[in-house]
Amino acid sequence: MNQTESTIQPEPALRPGRESGRAAARPSSSFDTRLRADKIAKVMVTVGGIAIIASILAILFVIIIEVYPLFQDPEAEPGVTMAAVEGAAPLLIMVDEYQQAGLAVDANGLRKMTLVSREWGGRIALGALGGATVTSATRHQREMALGLSDGRVMRLEAEFTTTYPEGGQRHVELNVNADEPVTVRADGQPVRLIAYSPGEEGQIIAAATGAREVSLARTVESRSLMGGGEKEITVTRFGADTKGDITALTMDLRGESLFIGTAAGELVRVSLVNPQTPLHVETVTVTPGAPVSVLGFVFGGRSLIVGDGKGGVSGWLLTRIGEGVETRLQKTCEFAPHAAGVTAFAVSQRNKGFITGDSGGGVRLHYATTERTSLAFSTDGPVASLAMAPKYDALWAITSTGGLRQWTLDDPHPEISLKALFGEVWYEGYTKPDYVWQSTGGTDDFESKYSLSPLIYGTLKGTFYSMVIAIPLAVLGALYTSQFMHPSIRGVVKPTVEIMAALPSVVLGFIAGLWMAPMMEKIAPGVLLMPLVITAVILLSVTLWRAAVPGRVKRRLTKGAELLVLIPLTLFGGWLSIRLGYGIEELFLRGDYRVWLKEVAGITFDQRNTLVVGFAMGFAVIPIIFTISEDSLSNVPSHLSAGSLALGATPWQTAMNVVLPAASPGIFSAIMIGFGRAVGETMIVLMATGNTPVMDMSLFNGFRALSANIAVELPEAPEQGTLYRVLFLAALLLFCMTFIVNTVAEVIRLRLRRRYSEL
Amino acid sequence: MKELYRTGDPLIWLTGGALAFSLLMVVGLIALIMYNGLGFFWPKDIVRYTLADGRQVMGQLSEREEIPQFGEGKKEPLWRIKVKQGNRDLYGADFIWINEADIKTEEKPAAAIVLERREWGDFIGVIKAVKDGATAIAAEPAEGWKALTGALAGQRRLFEEARALERDEVGAISYDQEKLRLANRALKLKGAKDDDPRITANLAGIDKLHKDYEAVMERVGAIRAKLTWTVVLTGAGGVEKELPLYMIVRAVKPNELSVFGKAGVYLSKIWEFISADPRESNTEGGVFPAIFGTVLMVMVMSVAVTPMGVLGAFYLREYARQGVFVSAVRIAVNNLAGVPSIVFGVFGVGFFIYFVGGSIDSLFFPEALPTPTYGTGGILWASLTLALLTVPVVIVATEEGLAAIPRNLREASLGLGATKFETMWRVVLPAVMPSILTGLILAMARAAGEVAPLMITGVVKLAPSLPIDGYFPFLHMERKFMHLGFHIYDVGFQSPNVDAARPMVYTTTLLLLGIVLALNLSAIVIRNKLKKKFATSAV
Repeated sequence: MNQTESTIQPEPALRPGRESGRAAARPSSSFDTRLRADKIAKVMVTVGGIAIIASILAILFVIIIEVYPLFQDPEAEPGVTMAAVEGAAPLLIMVDEYQQAGLAVDANGLRKMTLVSREWGGRIALGALGGATVTSATRHQREMALGLSDGRVMRLEAEFTTTYPEGGQRHVELNVNADEPVTVRADGQPVRLIAYSPGEEGQIIAAATGAREVSLARTVESRSLMGGGEKEITVTRFGADTKGDITALTMDLRGESLFIGTAAGELVRVSLVNPQTPLHVETVTVTPGAPVSVLGFVFGGRSLIVGDGKGGVSGWLLTRIGEGVETRLQKTCEFAPHAAGVTAFAVSQRNKGFITGDSGGGVRLHYATTERTSLAFSTDGPVASLAMAPKYDALWAITSTGGLRQWTLDDPHPEISLKALFGEVWYEGYTKPDYVWQSTGGTDDFESKYSLSPLIYGTLKGTFYSMVIAIPLAVLGALYTSQFMHPSIRGVVKPTVEIMAALPSVVLGFIAGLWMAPMMEKIAPGVLLMPLVITAVILLSVTLWRAAVPGRVKRRLTKGAELLVLIPLTLFGGWLSIRLGYGIEELFLRGDYRVWLKEVAGITFDQRNTLVVGFAMGFAVIPIIFTISEDSLSNVPSHLSAGSLALGATPWQTAMNVVLPAASPGIFSAIMIGFGRAVGETMIVLMATGNTPVMDMSLFNGFRALSANIAVELPEAPEQGTLYRVLFLAALLLFCMTFIVNTVAEVIRLRLRRRYSEL
Repeated sequence: MKELYRTGDPLIWLTGGALAFSLLMVVGLIALIMYNGLGFFWPKDIVRYTLADGRQVMGQLSEREEIPQFGEGKKEPLWRIKVKQGNRDLYGADFIWINEADIKTEEKPAAAIVLERREWGDFIGVIKAVKDGATAIAAEPAEGWKALTGALAGQRRLFEEARALERDEVGAISYDQEKLRLANRALKLKGAKDDDPRITANLAGIDKLHKDYEAVMERVGAIRAKLTWTVVLTGAGGVEKELPLYMIVRAVKPNELSVFGKAGVYLSKIWEFISADPRESNTEGGVFPAIFGTVLMVMVMSVAVTPMGVLGAFYLREYARQGVFVSAVRIAVNNLAGVPSIVFGVFGVGFFIYFVGGSIDSLFFPEALPTPTYGTGGILWASLTLALLTVPVVIVATEEGLAAIPRNLREASLGLGATKFETMWRVVLPAVMPSILTGLILAMARAAGEVAPLMITGVVKLAPSLPIDGYFPFLHMERKFMHLGFHIYDVGFQSPNVDAARPMVYTTTLLLLGIVLALNLSAIVIRNKLKKKFATSAV
């Protein structure tokens, strides 16, 4: 391609000036118009051209803009502050979805909060309280449990209902429903610590009284046939078998385990499966010498967060040991520690985020999945209690003096970090850290798993196997076409291969998924034998040919006519290898290779597997590698090969030692471009693999590729959500991979072209 | 032997083998698609198999395969056949596998017929009676066939009439109603009160339209009441089924048809395939909406891509100062052709649909929100996405054409006093036209075969209406559309009855392949003509 001179301008001498006397022949006004038209055209083409090229290149920009918020640090702004209320400081607060109203629990009972006007509201009467005061409180969503100073516990429900009166402002109403208190200590010892679980079979309240004593109040609703249950409450009490005094208490959602933290740094798990006899299951040490000060579950009730007196914050999971049902507490993550002992804890009600506060006034925001501590604030005194707004858009802290502070939070994608995207993460329900992609689940408390690693792995796996198939076929075929084939046959072969390039990938994917996959399942051993068998058949026939056919006949055949013999030979070789494959299966693989694979190698066989994808994607890549390789091979200056042949080298020696080395950069760039195509191929991998995101190099399993993943999940992803942005990130990865590979290939090709012209 | 290997012949043969293998793959693939795609519409004979246990199966032979046998020892190969028995509503499955060893006799009953139905797939059986309401018209296969074929067309026409009323008139009424409803919302958004005269007028309009609707439905009911003809059929194994005639799309008696008769059925089925709407969740009927969607999308894309590509190429080659920067831009544009199509799709979703479409919605269609008008996938966004995807193809082809135009052409024009713009417009552009056309055709071929970016920018498995219809502004660029490539994916992989749908997929594949290959071949032909033209005119 020559560079055409593009700056040709009309010669100044030819440009008739405005003052030219030829104005009569060509009115100057019309010439002005022409010049103006020329200028306008130039500006329009330049502006338009730049705009179009810029808009093409803007693709990268738009994708980056959509991805960027994933990696933005969360932001928090100091919001409302409220002075301390008279009387005791609140033990616990709760705010509604719109942060208009709130509820505070203090020693004297309940108090309303009007957050819009930053005022403490009036008390809510709790008649059942009697003369007792509230000594401890805990909360699970809208349910609360209070421990009283006279050895009673009490459950209540607090619910905010939002109404929109006709034409008016949003109105939030608080309704509190208190149950009858239950006495757990008849002798009136105060309840120091309290834990609550909605339970599978009924609510359970655990109360710590005395130093090492826990009482359990279990409510079981007996359902009668007439409807309307009779509530029965049983109280059991047991002494905890611990070294230190009890300092923290929590229960899982199902009410099956009670977790006790002690002053000696122990974390004790007590099984409540048998209601009458709580069973001490295990004791682990959190931080030696530091009392466990805070215990609680993040949203979903699986990750246990432990805070200690030295400021350490760690996450624990009950993980299964071996194959059985037995579980053990295991530390899965550790968060950035506080400078002082942890005193308060609150969880988000929509994701795995939580906050911890310390005795020095520090508050930190953590995320359980990513093991990240993303924000730190400070208040003016020890943190007594914390709350998170239901929409995960604000944090509330109460200091020991009773003052209230709020920070508004902007953290749209807390579940994303570099580690979550590319590293191993210990997810809830897993026995070890792993790379997992699972973007959606059936429940609200589902922990999204956004590891791109299995998808990148799948993309590279599919690409690798397709390149294994495509490279030899395409490069050898190109070598043959350019060096040993008669031009007249080349005129047929090249368009045929070009047609191959024009086949829509959805067609290849359909054939691969619905025709080749079931076919391949029957003949897989034969297919694996094919390269060997076909090679052997061809070598054998060439020997026979040399020996049997007289030279006279051979010389009369056109150069490159071998192809006519080779096509039936290849067909025969293919047929033979399939027969042989059956034979081998019968003789060595117990009659069914799938059973053999499962039993001997432990490999499961998927019908839509990588072998199928390798063939189908190889099919898509072959014409690309073939065409570019063939071009660079046949563009090697002919005086090079002519010289070599004249010096007595055989055609093969010339091809291998002269032509191939000269064209090797071109072949390399052909392979790179083929690689780029395979990496981004979508429909074939979508249709010919099972799309399971596993990381496994087996030829007989499927995989899920980045591209197919985008095609499957983007239609379902809500705009601007985390999944949406992660899919954009996947597209960005694909873009970068292919763009870099293609640019390198293009530069190599341009350099090669220059070298040829120099030779 | 050594000497043989020194000549390199065996290795040359091996490289030839690699080529032969690739060629066999292409030819084999196309042959496979042609065989499966073309054969599907040929009416096959109906065979009645009587099995050893006395059971009878009647249907069309569809496949024969060897039964895999496990265990030791050499065994006689056993075969089984797959028979399309139809009558899915009675038997539960369209296909049945029969071991050949179990077959006692097989015959081709002359009276057996295949009825293609609107629902439940084919019915294969023998006519027992034909009735008009309660009156029996015929009670014997031969006579029944005559009565059936006589009455079929009339009943079907009535049915179509009722359907057309429902589709067109009711469609128009609900379209008008929706327009009035949206007009009211728009008025309210602008602050109009409930008792505003315009609003009450619109409400009255909606009420009136509802009355119109009831009148139309009454007419439909009157037509429906005339659909009284039924046929009673006996399937294999003696099961009986009474079918209303209007449910039958086509009745064929394959065992009595001559080759020409079969060819007639074949052609009529192909015509139905090309011109009719799909039925039975896309597994039967035609693919007309998909063809229409594909063609319209490619046309819209062409309208967008041609000026973009030509302008870009003219700028790069004729107006920009050649240098490192322009070379870098050129490489980047070339490489965009290698960026995966799904990435373009993602861009289309982020930029066109949510950004541009969302803005259009909030500016021009606030009354329809939160239902998006342009802020969701549609044919316009899909076409523009594909235009971006294919613009490098047009740029590269045009640039090559520009480079091939002999310099003396330009110099002659400039020498005669033409300005640069006039030279470009009158001399260069006409000369480069064939290259632009080549690029455009290649772009169209690529666009017609792309599916992945469409999946996320507006293709659906079943579009309720075509993007062009009789309502103003006639071309509805925001509508979702159907596409042949996506149809293949959807029917082949998402359909509940893949076995029955597979031949349909092959046929669709053949159609798509035909379109794409025809476009590519024409590009090759134009390119070759072009080469010849410039070979003579070049200096």
